[in-house]
Amino acid sequence: MSLAKFLVRRSLQGLFVIWGVVTAVFMLRFVTPGSPVDFVAPLDASPELRARIAAELGLDQPMYIQYLDYLWGLLQLDMGYSYISSTPAAARVFARLPATIELAVAATVVAIVFSIPLGVISATNRHEPADYAATGFSLVGISTPNFWLGIMLVLLVSVQLGWFPTGRRAIGFWPAVQLIWQEGTLAGIVVWLRYITLPAITLGTYFTALITRLTRSGMLDELGKEYVRAARAKGLPETLVRYKHALRNTLIPIITILGLQLGTLIGGAVITEAVFTWPGLGTLVIDAINSRDWPIIQGSLIVIGAGFVIVNTIVDGLYAYINPQVVYE
Amino acid sequence: MISDRLKRNLKKEFRNSLLAKVGVFLMLLVVLSATFAPLLAPHNPTQTNPEQAQLPPLGFESERETSEFVDGEVQTVSRSVEGSMEHPMGTDAVGRDMASRILYGARTSLLVGLIGSAVAAITGVTVGLTAGYYGGRIDDGLMRFADVMLAFPSLVLAVALVGLLGPLTVPIPDPFVTAGLADGMPETFVFPVTVTLVVALVNWVWFARIARGEALSLRQEEYVKAARSMGASDGRIILRHVLPNSFTPILVLATIQVAAIILLESALSFLGFSGTNLSWGFDIAQGRNYLATSWWIASIPGLAIVAAVIGINLIGDWLRDALDPGIEGESGGM
Repeated sequence: MSLAKFLVRRSLQGLFVIWGVVTAVFMLRFVTPGSPVDFVAPLDASPELRARIAAELGLDQPMYIQYLDYLWGLLQLDMGYSYISSTPAAARVFARLPATIELAVAATVVAIVFSIPLGVISATNRHEPADYAATGFSLVGISTPNFWLGIMLVLLVSVQLGWFPTGRRAIGFWPAVQLIWQEGTLAGIVVWLRYITLPAITLGTYFTALITRLTRSGMLDELGKEYVRAARAKGLPETLVRYKHALRNTLIPIITILGLQLGTLIGGAVITEAVFTWPGLGTLVIDAINSRDWPIIQGSLIVIGAGFVIVNTIVDGLYAYINPQVVYE
Repeated sequence: MISDRLKRNLKKEFRNSLLAKVGVFLMLLVVLSATFAPLLAPHNPTQTNPEQAQLPPLGFESERETSEFVDGEVQTVSRSVEGSMEHPMGTDAVGRDMASRILYGARTSLLVGLIGSAVAAITGVTVGLTAGYYGGRIDDGLMRFADVMLAFPSLVLAVALVGLLGPLTVPIPDPFVTAGLADGMPETFVFPVTVTLVVALVNWVWFARIARGEALSLRQEEYVKAARSMGASDGRIILRHVLPNSFTPILVLATIQVAAIILLESALSFLGFSGTNLSWGFDIAQGRNYLATSWWIASIPGLAIVAAVIGINLIGDWLRDALDPGIEGESGGM
């Protein structure tokens, strides 16, 4: 199968899964107890008023009509109106998206910047103190609940030392960047960095630990292989052997695992947002669940699920593109 | 299903590995705390006592501002309080004993972890073996369903389900209290049913995938073909031949899943969705509001989670190394 054909097939598969996600999210309202009317109508509402509210929300229609309506709306990016604030749900969901993406990307950057050097140092200094320190760190890192880590960072770094704010997000990345060429000031970016540092470390630590582990064991595997011995035997400098050959081959499987861990990253973002009152999709969905604001619940779950599927599809495509050995099945 | 060779490997690995010993030690600590919490706890973990609120752990001091009568009028007085043996880990914001809460919290974590992982394993393995063994339509259908499940980050799915279904809990009578061995302790243990089922529901897919892969490859093995040609039923072949041979990777996964589920349970409790108030995650959420005055309320339960999860992860490493001696050495620290 050619690459193009593989990409088309993979995209169609992704679309199919997204449709499944939408259907599952839609069904959620019918398998959970309580009617949305209970949360919208006043406690003493008469049956007539309740019926009118149900009709207004479209809840008096048969389920398949509601489903088709919802699908049709979604195709036009219409997710209905929030039960609580009566604003369009899609606008509120997409307004929260940049904050979550910023957090996820920042955490990934933290993870990659720290983990790969750590893993390499660990593998090239096997059974030495540096190796034990890195292995110990990664064991603790994958075993620590990130919401607790976030709270401990707030306790030590914000409350005790006063270095970073305890939460919230003062400015978005994009507005901060715009300030640079509109006003010629870096102040926006500095503020952005101050606010995102602790959340990014909180979310990134698990991945730093995980990738350190993977890099270490991958490097150890690669360094024991024939081609490394051959490269050394022909007199290649050790740095070249390590970084050009061994590390490069180590990174390929790591990219795959990172793709698989994307769900953990998004899930982690939800709870990290809760710790730092970060105004992303996570805090939005938790608030919406607590107030049974169905259009918002559905909208944010669909965006999270679909975003996850889309990124996974892109990762698969990129992977097929970089690695000619990949077998398209 | 556990062969003699495996037992030998487990023993050998255990002798050679300090980390395996640490893992077993930590796990024993958690299991003993969970089992004997009513006998070990110095106080009733749910008993509030405003007089004794926010006491620091043994060996620590803390400044406290209280309103007191001085010379006939109310004044705010700053007093230093010291931790004592009475409350070795201090007390929380309403004066409940932290040490007792940590011991009882182990019950919630361990029970949800073990039962959740077992339910996920049984469901996932059944689905996976069926899909892999029969292949074709059944396989396609089940695996597409699994894809949709995997499209949701498990924490997001769990939060949505638990939040929307509502926290169903079941009180289980405490055998020690019933037997009269632990007077003054809570008479029932509140088991969070929704949380346990939901964590199993969001995690069974991993088991299904592994079991399917094993069944797919084992289906081609000579002994399975032989059994089939001798007229063995599908059910018998799956139970007697395919399942035992895919047991090893499933066992390792189940172990690691206990750790993952303990982390997930603590997150759900932290968000206030679990329905039990005797949980490490719940205590962290409570302590979060007192970071500036009482650091221990949020810190200590977190340390308990980290210890438990490290223990299980180390045991997972030990099992994997013992079961797959081929990769021993080169990936020693993994």
